[in-house]
Amino acid sequence: MAFTMRSVKVPPNSASLAEARSRVIDFFKKSCRSIPAIMEIYNLHDVVTVSQLRSTISSEIRKNAHLSNPKVIDMLLFKGMEELGNIVEHAKQRHHIIGQYVVGREGLMQDASPKDQEASEFLKQFYTSNYF
Amino acid sequence: MAASLRPAILRHIRLPVRPQGQPVLPSWLSSIRAMSGHGDDHLTREEVVDRVLDVVKSFPKVNPSKVTAEVHFQKDLGLDSLDVVEIVMALEEEFKLEIPDKEADKIDSCPLAIEYIANHPMAG
Repeated sequence: MAFTMRSVKVPPNSASLAEARSRVIDFFKKSCRSIPAIMEIYNLHDVVTVSQLRSTISSEIRKNAHLSNPKVIDMLLFKGMEELGNIVEHAKQRHHIIGQYVVGREGLMQDASPKDQEASEFLKQFYTSNYF
Repeated sequence: MAASLRPAILRHIRLPVRPQGQPVLPSWLSSIRAMSGHGDDHLTREEVVDRVLDVVKSFPKVNPSKVTAEVHFQKDLGLDSLDVVEIVMALEEEFKLEIPDKEADKIDSCPLAIEYIANHPMAG
């Protein structure tokens, strides 16, 4: 575990929204630059392209575009860096990457058939909110 | 004595082997060599323009018919700042560059992107 602990650095909190914003951009660039290595590690060349993965990362970031509290943004950034570190360290397997970033959450949900249209609202929200 | 000398001598004799069909190059030719790996294959400006426009057009949120060489990413194409970073990363991938942050922040339109890449010696 030592090598994992070394790579996880906790940066000081962002003082302002502008600083948090530039950190997000830096993180986005860093993750974009590691896409080729990730495609190599997980052998993704036949299922996805670099630009598709890039769009996936940017849409994950855009999901949180409404946030304005620098502390919350810092926390999400930390989670993102942790995730990126894990992926680059090959701590995951191919199907994790494909499930989360190639097929997407909707693609994995099994309730798309007409039979499940009647499923309760609670269950639908449970499916959409509990895939992390 | 001779029997033991024979293999010792043979082991040290090397005959130059020449392929049959190939003419031997004159010695002055072999002294000429390319001085660098990426040599003279600089990109022409037209090629840079074409490839930059291709990258921008292939961006999913962009309407390809609106893209020209003078277009501004945010004002004319309606993209946000994250989209611009994404386009710059796509350009980095296309031209095998790594654009430093200070330069990347300035690139917000097609003319600036073309200008930067056309002037970059390592763009390939």
